[in-house]
Amino acid sequence: MDPLAEKYLRPRKIPSTACSGCGLGQIHKKIVMAIDELGLGIEDVVWGTGIGCAGRQTFGAWKGDNFAGTHGRVYAISTGLRVALPRDKKIVLTVGDGDAFGIGLLHVLHCARRNLDVTVIVCDNLGYQSTGGQYGWTTPEGYKTDSSPYGMNEPNWVQGGRDVLGILREAGATFLARHTSLEGREAVEDIKKAIQNRGFSLVHMPFPCITNFAGRALGTRKPVEVYRWFKEHTDGNVPGKPGDALFKCGVYFDASNSRVEYSELVRNNVAEVQRRYR
Amino acid sequence: MKRVLETGNAAITEGAIAAGCRVFAGYPITPATEIAENMSRRLPQVGGYYLQAEDELAAMHIAVGSSLGGLKAMTATSGPGFILYADPYGWALGSEIPVVVVNAQRVGPVSGITGAPGQGEFYFSRYPTQGGNFETIVLAPASVQEALNLTVEAFYLAERFRMPVTLLADQLVTDGWESLSVPETPDDVAAMGLRVLPRRIHSGPEFYPASDEIDVPPVVLGHNTGAACSDWTPTEQGYDTEEVEAQHKHAYRLIYKVRNHRDLLRRYEAYYLDDNPEVVLVSYGSPARVAKSAVKRARERGLKVGGIRLIGLWPFPEELFTLPAKYLSVELNNDGQLVREVQRAVPKGSAVHFFGKCGELPTVAELQRMIDALLSGEPLPANRWEWEAW
Repeated sequence: MDPLAEKYLRPRKIPSTACSGCGLGQIHKKIVMAIDELGLGIEDVVWGTGIGCAGRQTFGAWKGDNFAGTHGRVYAISTGLRVALPRDKKIVLTVGDGDAFGIGLLHVLHCARRNLDVTVIVCDNLGYQSTGGQYGWTTPEGYKTDSSPYGMNEPNWVQGGRDVLGILREAGATFLARHTSLEGREAVEDIKKAIQNRGFSLVHMPFPCITNFAGRALGTRKPVEVYRWFKEHTDGNVPGKPGDALFKCGVYFDASNSRVEYSELVRNNVAEVQRRYR
Repeated sequence: MKRVLETGNAAITEGAIAAGCRVFAGYPITPATEIAENMSRRLPQVGGYYLQAEDELAAMHIAVGSSLGGLKAMTATSGPGFILYADPYGWALGSEIPVVVVNAQRVGPVSGITGAPGQGEFYFSRYPTQGGNFETIVLAPASVQEALNLTVEAFYLAERFRMPVTLLADQLVTDGWESLSVPETPDDVAAMGLRVLPRRIHSGPEFYPASDEIDVPPVVLGHNTGAACSDWTPTEQGYDTEEVEAQHKHAYRLIYKVRNHRDLLRRYEAYYLDDNPEVVLVSYGSPARVAKSAVKRARERGLKVGGIRLIGLWPFPEELFTLPAKYLSVELNNDGQLVREVQRAVPKGSAVHFFGKCGELPTVAELQRMIDALLSGEPLPANRWEWEAW
C-alpha cells in the first residue's frame, strides 16, 4: 500500500469503491500529501464530508475523527464544530460540486462571510454523477447529460463571465484556488496554503468522471481520452493569458490570515463580555 | 435561587444555562425570538456562544455540530422553522447526537398567525424527519416554571438517550409572564429536583452498539477516538454501509432504546380519577390549565369529572388510559390531533370527543357546556367557527 495511505488512512477504505479511472482518488491523495508535508498528524485533523461520490468515497477513510453531514449542510455543522473544537484542530471537508455550489451554496457563502476556519475541497465531477449523471452547476454548457439530453442549456457557475470563486471572494473567503485532479505539485502546494490559512479556504478541484459524465457528455469511457479532454480544457489562471478554458487553475485569491477568523471572533467577544461584566 | 416575574422564553433560557448549555444557534421567529435574544445576552456571561444562523436549517445543524464538538447545545423556533429542522433532526437522531429543540407552537399552517398560540405539531413532533425507524422524545410545558424545569430535563434526557429532545411549547407558555424560581447554583438545581448530566465522550470503537442500552456516551469529535458518524446507516464502528442487517440493528437501537425505557419518560398530571369519573378531559400545554379549571368547577358542582394533563407527549403514554369513560381532548387546533392518539389508547366502552380552538384558549364556560352535554347525553355544542356563516 502507498506509505502515505498506510500512515493516514484506514485499510478498510482502501481501495475505495470508486469506478475505474475516477479522478477522486487523485484529489484524496493530494490532500493527504499536503497534510503530511505540513507535518500534521491524524490527531490534528477532523475530516468531514458531504454525500455523493465525494462524500461516500472519502468518509471514514481518515484514521482520525470523521463525520459526514447531510447534503449541503456540512458548512453549518462545521460552524458549530469549529466553535466547540480546540483551536488547533484543522477541519478539512471533502464535498461535491452539487453539495458546495448547489444545495449548500447559501451556507458556503455564510461561512465565507464569517471567515470560518475550514478547508473546503470541492471534488467536482461536473454534475450529479452518483445519481447516474445529471447536469449540475459546473457542467460545461452544451454538454449532454442524463437530464440534459439536448445539451446543458442553462448558465452555470463557471462560464459566461461568471466564476463561483469570484462570488466567494466577494463573500469574504480568504483563500481560493482551483486545480484539476490531474495537476500535481502545484495543487498540493495550494492545498497546503488552504490548510494553513486560519480562515475560510476553498479549493475547487474538477476531476474526471469516466462512467457517467464522460460516458454521456464525451461519448467515451476510455480514461486516456477523458484525461486528454481535461488537459485540453485546462488553463493556467495567469493574468493576460486569455482563454475560454473550462478549468482556470491556480490561486484565485490569497488573503490568508488577513482578517479575524470566526470562532476566534466569537471567543474574543465572549471574553470581552466576561471582562466587562465580572 | 432567585424569584422573578418572567416569560416562558426567559425560563427556557435559564433552564438551558442551568443544564450546561453553552451553544445556542437560532434564527429569529415569533414567538420564539426572545429565547434567541435572551441567549445572546446570557450565554456570553457564562462563557457560552450565541450563534445566529442564516436559516433554521443552518441553525439546527450548527447546534448539532457544536454538540458533536462536545458542547451542549440548543435551538429554538416556531412551526415554520421547525419544519426546516427536519434535515438536521434526522441527522442527530441517526447519528445519536444530543441536542435540545424548542418549538413555541403558533397558529398554522405555514406562517399562519404569528403571535397566537396553536398546537399543530403534535404529530409532526413525533415524525420530525423522514425515513421512520425511530422514536422521539417530546415534552410539553404548561407554565413558565415548568418550561424551565422541562428544559433542564430535556438536556438530561438528550444526554442519557443520545438524541434530540423536543420541548413542544406554545405561544402562551413562551410569551406568558409568571413568577419563576431560577436556580443560580448547582445546589439550587439539585434542591429544585432537577438533574444535570455532564457530557461524556465515547472512546470507541463500538460507537453504535446494536443494543437498546441508554447511558452510552455520545460521539464527540476532536479527541482522536477514531470516531466516525454520518448520515448513512452505520456499522457498529460508525462506517457507512448498505447492509440490511446493519440497518436492522440501527433501527432496533433507535426504536427500542426509547421504547424499552418508557418508564423514564412517562410524565403526566392526573387529577380526580380515583372515583371512576364519567368524563375525563385530556390536554397538554396551556389549554390544559383551562381544562383543569373546568374539571375543578365541575367537581364543585358535584359532577364526576377528571382530567389528565400530558407532559411527556412522545412516546405517547397510552398506558394511562385504563379507565372506560367519555374522554374529551382539548386542543389548540381545529382538526384534532391528540384526539386520535387518545382514541387509539382508550379501553373498550370508551368514547373520545374533541374540543378545539386555535389562536386563543378555550374558556371554562365552553368546556363546562361540553362536560354537561357529555354527562347528559345531549348533542355536543359545535365549535364556534362551525356556527358562523361562511
